[in-house]
Amino acid sequence: MATIEGKPAAATNGAALASFLAAGIGAFAVGFVVILNEAGLFSAPALYAPAGGVSGRTTLAAVIWLLGWAVLHNRWKNREIESRRVYIISLILIGSGILLTFPPVWSLV
Amino acid sequence: MDSMLFTERSIWTMIHGTALGGGALMALAASLFSLRAMRTEGASSATSRNQARYLSWLMVSTAVLLWLTVIVGTYATFPPYRATPPDGLTDLTQYPRFLIQSKPGTVWLHAFAMEIKEHTPWIAAMLSTAAAFIGVRYRAQLLSDAQLNRMATALLAICFVLVSVVALLGVFINKVAPLQ
Repeated sequence: MATIEGKPAAATNGAALASFLAAGIGAFAVGFVVILNEAGLFSAPALYAPAGGVSGRTTLAAVIWLLGWAVLHNRWKNREIESRRVYIISLILIGSGILLTFPPVWSLV
Repeated sequence: MDSMLFTERSIWTMIHGTALGGGALMALAASLFSLRAMRTEGASSATSRNQARYLSWLMVSTAVLLWLTVIVGTYATFPPYRATPPDGLTDLTQYPRFLIQSKPGTVWLHAFAMEIKEHTPWIAAMLSTAAAFIGVRYRAQLLSDAQLNRMATALLAICFVLVSVVALLGVFINKVAPLQ
């Protein structure tokens, strides 16, 4: 990822792009955990039995999102990042994540 | 209690769908409108800095409302929705999932609508949190920096569409099999 060093932290776009890409990672994690569950490959344990498996799936995805955000923020917060590629990757991840939570897609796996 | 106008389950449903979800949808619409309508070209003025301050708090409120909606939905209203009725029970009005699945014409409300409602709102909450973070961290530039403004707008626009669809599906489910 092309970066420009040397700008003051408040003026750099790194932290914004880290949160944007992390949102994409989180969205994709939700869809990925759901599709793994539907395919019978991985079933996140229920953290709250009355709510069932959704409590485990969504918590796992939220943990992945927060970890991804923490790592990206730590690496990019003081950098100027070339935004176009991050923007496109994030939108693809968000779109894919949403698509994977769409029940008609589950019948394809 | 027979004299109660609303049951506890019904009150939680109203808190989830109307108070929190409805509030989040309104806050999303207001945030989106403000991000576009209050944009400025070039350096930010004292007026736009003041507007950005209010807008950043609106974006934080949106994210908080969405997270509360999602958490109440998952942990307070979903469990009674999916509760299993005792064997032999014919009146399924207290068991919405099974009521919906007992009629061919409404099976899709669980297989499609509720399945989407279980997961997609978590994505919306994550996106709105990212937008709120951008709003707070880059408050001074939010209305004057085209790239930051576009990023926050994209996140909230996707969020708005997701929440609108999910809210509509929730209305359909609640019309057919309300939590009473």
